[in-house]
Amino acid sequence: MPEQQPRGEVPSIWAFITADVLAFALFFVLFMAERGRQVALFDQSSLQLDANLGLLNTLILITSSWLVALGVEAARHGKRLALRRWLLLAMLVGAGFAVTKFIEYSAKIGHGITMLSNDFFMFYFALTGIHFLHFLVGIGVLLMLWMQARDRELSGTFMVWLESGGIYWHMVDLLWIVLFPMLYLLGRSA
Amino acid sequence: MNNPFQYWRLCFAAGPVFLLSYFGFWGILGFNVPPLAPSLTAAEMASHFQEHANQMRLGMVGAMTFAPTYMMWGLGITKVMETLEGGNRVLSKLQLWGAGLTVIPIYMCCVFILAGTYRPDTLDPGSIQLLYDMSWLTISICYSVTTMQMIAMGAIFLSDRRKTPLIPKWLCWYSIWGGFMFIAEDIMPFFKHGVFARNGLLNFWVEYSIYFFYMLFVTYYLFKAIARLEQEYKAGTLVFPGNGIAYGLKANA
Repeated sequence: MPEQQPRGEVPSIWAFITADVLAFALFFVLFMAERGRQVALFDQSSLQLDANLGLLNTLILITSSWLVALGVEAARHGKRLALRRWLLLAMLVGAGFAVTKFIEYSAKIGHGITMLSNDFFMFYFALTGIHFLHFLVGIGVLLMLWMQARDRELSGTFMVWLESGGIYWHMVDLLWIVLFPMLYLLGRSA
Repeated sequence: MNNPFQYWRLCFAAGPVFLLSYFGFWGILGFNVPPLAPSLTAAEMASHFQEHANQMRLGMVGAMTFAPTYMMWGLGITKVMETLEGGNRVLSKLQLWGAGLTVIPIYMCCVFILAGTYRPDTLDPGSIQLLYDMSWLTISICYSVTTMQMIAMGAIFLSDRRKTPLIPKWLCWYSIWGGFMFIAEDIMPFFKHGVFARNGLLNFWVEYSIYFFYMLFVTYYLFKAIARLEQEYKAGTLVFPGNGIAYGLKANA
């Protein structure tokens, strides 16, 4: 069995992650501040979201993140085929998020609900939209890593990029874990 | 002897010149920091233009005069990027093109306001409002050329293998992140009030502050970088062979 690779440098992508998480933290604060001013409207609007789809998306992203973590672990042990298999699975499972969001957005727009409907839906579409763009970038990064994993040496620079990609994908997951209860569940607790 | 670093510092210094001049002329004299609220009526907007026409004219003319300094700053970044990028230097050129193209919306947004101040007494209020809206839609929604510049810059400097990189990795990621997050500007045309409006907390104060500090940080580290590059050049570890086009660190640098 191949030996585990020694841990390399700390990926510098943490700077990106920190900035991005702070930006989303500001989004969350602004949402909560606005909610405080219009509690009834926000609660009523929240009930129009499908919490089951939100939960499904949470499970999809957590599972996909777990698959990437398995891929990174496989790479540390020099298992190229396993790495590529986990990354491919992570992308396939992750793609479910896009399908669910498409269903969700289509349903809302079909019912005449848009970003301009009220302040809750302004935040809903803006925050989930920006998050969705992060998701798309993440899928692109996973695809690039999957392609490079075919012939790149599983050490040094590639491992830093692989771990960076994994950290980014976890962040996409983490942001959704905050977005889901804030947008879908908070109104139901009232 | 040919100095391969000639004019680099001048280009770096053009960055703060741009920031100061744009802030003063476009921002303060032109009433763009913060922008006039999109919720103002056409009559209110026209009244503002009539009252402050000369000040706004001066602001726009001044901002346009100094606008090319942004491209000079971009050229300075490209010169440092070229020392790291071998081969066809696509990213160095992309960065320069991004900086150069950024100057176009900078000019256009000033031209629209200038046109509104030229005959504010005879233009109908709706036209003045339209010109001001066009100005802000141009400066905000043409962000993608600047995004291209910022991502190209961050990507190249991330490839720096020096123990202490010329541009710190956190700043490379800040550059990529800042460029990416400009995408929030796309939400701006949908709103006339709130955090996503052109004068809102997110689309004005946060987005423009990110860029303001990006320029300051990058300029500071460019000045530090050139001092190190000059040392490496004197020590013979950085080579500028022949015609000065090809760059690169020697193998054991």
